[in-house]
Amino acid sequence: MLRIPGLPVSPGVAWGPAALMLHRHSAMRRGIAAAHVERELGRLDTAKETSATQLRAIHARVSQRAGADLANLFEAQLLMLDDHLLVPRARRIVESDRVNAEWALDRAFDEFCAVFSEVGDEYLRERRGDVADVVGRLRRNLAPAAARGAGADPAAPAVLVADELAPSVAAQLDPASILGLAFETGSRTHHSAILARSLAIPAVAGAAGVTLHIRPGALVLVDGDAGEVVIDPSPEVLDEARVRRERRATSAGLQVSRPAGPVLTADGVTVRFHANIERLEEIETAKAAGAEGVGLFRTEFLLGDRAVDAFDEEAQYRVYREVVERMAPHTVTIRTFDVDESQAAGGGGGERDHGARPRGIGLSRGSLGLRAIRVSLGHREAFETQLRALARAGRHGAIRVLLPFVSSVDELRDARAAMRSAIHEVEETGQTLAVMPVGVMIEVPAAALTVDLLAAEADFFSIGTNDLIQYCLAVDRADGRVAGLFDPLHPAILRVIRSVIRLARPRRRPVALCGEMAADPGALLLLLGLGVTEFSMSPAAIPEARGLVRRVTMGDARRAAVRAVSLPTSADIAALLAARFPALASWPTGRDGRPHMEGQP
Amino acid sequence: MLERTVTIRNALGMHARAAARFVHAAGGFQCRVTVAREERGDRRVDGKSILGLLLLAASRGVVIRITADGADEDEALGSLCRLVEAGFGDEPC
Repeated sequence: MLRIPGLPVSPGVAWGPAALMLHRHSAMRRGIAAAHVERELGRLDTAKETSATQLRAIHARVSQRAGADLANLFEAQLLMLDDHLLVPRARRIVESDRVNAEWALDRAFDEFCAVFSEVGDEYLRERRGDVADVVGRLRRNLAPAAARGAGADPAAPAVLVADELAPSVAAQLDPASILGLAFETGSRTHHSAILARSLAIPAVAGAAGVTLHIRPGALVLVDGDAGEVVIDPSPEVLDEARVRRERRATSAGLQVSRPAGPVLTADGVTVRFHANIERLEEIETAKAAGAEGVGLFRTEFLLGDRAVDAFDEEAQYRVYREVVERMAPHTVTIRTFDVDESQAAGGGGGERDHGARPRGIGLSRGSLGLRAIRVSLGHREAFETQLRALARAGRHGAIRVLLPFVSSVDELRDARAAMRSAIHEVEETGQTLAVMPVGVMIEVPAAALTVDLLAAEADFFSIGTNDLIQYCLAVDRADGRVAGLFDPLHPAILRVIRSVIRLARPRRRPVALCGEMAADPGALLLLLGLGVTEFSMSPAAIPEARGLVRRVTMGDARRAAVRAVSLPTSADIAALLAARFPALASWPTGRDGRPHMEGQP
Repeated sequence: MLERTVTIRNALGMHARAAARFVHAAGGFQCRVTVAREERGDRRVDGKSILGLLLLAASRGVVIRITADGADEDEALGSLCRLVEAGFGDEPC
């Protein structure tokens, strides 16, 4: 039995045979029987021969068209194909480790890259691209044989263990066949973690080196409550996990069977819970969880690999209309595209990585760069298309438009002007439109500090804690080396949230909170005490949050918050919470009497 | 066994095509050929492996030590050093 600590990013416990995935090539490691070694070697050899034939054809074609010099590049690739560091090395890995050809090829390439990365100047990165090209060709040529199936059935339910998990990959996971997730990088607010929570798949992130310790087919347990991956768990550990899973199933069942609607605190204050979603399939889950609306619909996930200007008005309109009709009579808050420039051009929605970078080093999409409202205002036509689609969908239900990443009143004004122009265009077709509130996402400190100025021109606010925390604390949440500094209970965070609520009050602008911070029970109580009574979170987290709010009084929450904002460290704040709210100790997502939060030891 | 040091002269260093020419040339001899960077002699790579040569990261100005060991070592060493000194036949920049 081997325990590997990580960050608990999606609650629950799950166990099963491990399926390994390397994001860069999406290769699964499969153990093979001794009798099948020859077949795997044969597949490698066939792929190599096919690749050589293709490269010779390319070489001939290029030398006719572009001359010998460029053609020699493919001659170099042919040499790489024959190099003993590549295919012969992969053959040896197949023989010694008894693994599938794809995995062995990846390992051989990894070994090569490991040496390369030691030198790491620009000149070299280019050379690595040449080798990657050859490896990619080999992989493609292995694919048809792989599709015929060779040994272990990858469709059987398994715990997915990955070095990193691109959100675009995570978005395609089938919850029916993925029991749990463990990955080496990432943090609680990484989009893959958010997706895991929305699919109710237990997940642990930041489990360093987990892919290196797992043998093919090994039994692995993912503890999304404690934040731990257990390889070859003992019978005692499995028994304990079984008990915990049953208890959770029972309590979830009780919550779901209760009627939805506003939740009252023990002293009668109304608290509303909305759902964060990005796919139509999540609507039923959201409703079943007791969501009273959608507080954040992330439209960029609808883009797929489309460019923003290739997503036509009609298609968008149909999606927005369906969301609002299916959520009726509740309000749906739809956030305009939050993409960076490359995604806007069709590089895929959501965070994703494009292969070759050293393991364990994450870079989030242009965190301080051109993204979200900045991109939308730069692609005015695409922005107005989205706004027209939203305006039309608004005739079928209550829609609020949420602008992401706003950092100044100027941006809000520009967006409002685009909105007016979009509405005008729709009205010219003879349709009358309902009034659609336009709100600002508070995720940039500049916006948080000027909520009173924004309030003059915005109808509502939504605090996006994921980004607000990382910008306030200067922590890149995708960088595993500093992810531990991402601390929702940092005194600065409590103060900035308190300030936002206060600045919005004179104009009576509603302030919701749509970050994942509220999915943590301790943080939820503090936020309540600071005056937040409208939360939006992943559907899976709603039942527990509703249950918790019922058991506390607003008076206690307020008193705890007042005390908390005067404490010097997040550890002091966590201790205060544990002392004031004994209920947290027995809460399913809590541990050892303390709420689990990244940044806490 | 014979060995000699030679400086990379072409602008792009020992890039993929340059390494390919070196491998072709080395492959024409029976002797064993290994190459190392002069300032870190510990990592010797196979002179007949293009990936090995790329791992040297031998950019312009880097001094490499070529070792030849076998029946035709003298001829091989002379031929390979001439290739490197001629900038692997790259177009002059």
